[in-house]
Amino acid sequence: MVLSKNIKMKICLTASAGGHLTELLKLADSWQQYEVFYVSTANMVAKKLKQYGPTYVVGECNREHLLQVILVLVRCIRVILHERPNVVISTGAAVGCIMCFLGKLLGAKVVWVDSIANVGWVSLSGRMVRHIADLFLVQWPEIAEQYSNVEYVGAVI
Amino acid sequence: MIFLTVGTQFPFDRFVRAVDNIFDQGLIDEEIFAQIGETSYKPHNFESVASLEKRDFDERVKKASSVISHAGVGTITVALKNNKPLLVMPRMKRYKEHVNDHQVATAKKFQELGHILAAYDVKDLPDGIRKLKNFIPRKRKASPVAITERIRHFLNSLQD
Repeated sequence: MVLSKNIKMKICLTASAGGHLTELLKLADSWQQYEVFYVSTANMVAKKLKQYGPTYVVGECNREHLLQVILVLVRCIRVILHERPNVVISTGAAVGCIMCFLGKLLGAKVVWVDSIANVGWVSLSGRMVRHIADLFLVQWPEIAEQYSNVEYVGAVI
Repeated sequence: MIFLTVGTQFPFDRFVRAVDNIFDQGLIDEEIFAQIGETSYKPHNFESVASLEKRDFDERVKKASSVISHAGVGTITVALKNNKPLLVMPRMKRYKEHVNDHQVATAKKFQELGHILAAYDVKDLPDGIRKLKNFIPRKRKASPVAITERIRHFLNSLQD
């Protein structure tokens, strides 16, 4: 998918509330010129995110609670069909992973920045997204050496 | 004022209870304010809330003399940015405090680099809290510029 310069790219920025979102927001310089929207997991971050763009709160989920995963998945599907982003950028975790896969299904490019919290290996979400990511960054050089198609260029904090 | 925070996902009763007990033993001579998320144990020595707006969270860190928390990157980031002494205790999967033990690895790494103090068990907490008073965190030099440049370059390449 190559877009003409005249068509404005729409970017989905997605991360769980907490450290993942802290890391994502530190990358804000990356997407200044583009139209963006946010997908996160908790209402307490919505107020802050709404200053930067349209914001969707889809709820928290993790692999321990399958029913919750399904509920969140349905909400994510609604968001992605409504917004149809050209690119999904995520720092994790579960919700970011879901949005990356849904975005990919609709033809979006996927950028994953694995959290700096993962110091020895790529996160579980990251290991799944690695197979579909168009750009996959990790924040420790020793992790990049262990995987193919994984880049280290620096750390957010 | 010490700021205690455990994030919002999963309870962390082991930690909050331990700090409350240490307070009972008279080993903490400062007030504590706590954000305890889904933790069901309610401390009796200090005020606690379930969650804080991001802005209030940042403000709490800024005003605190030191921070004690789970080994979450959100807290580590904000503490480092504000140059606050931080003691972390990693959440463990075996106590159902997280989905895996990555917080142990995070804590070790940032501890090795001199940015934080870490206690890996409740029995190490009193010693950690004692050391926290005189701990000067090493500043972290990382900046997100390299990553933002890489992503910008990638996004530009989509529009060529």
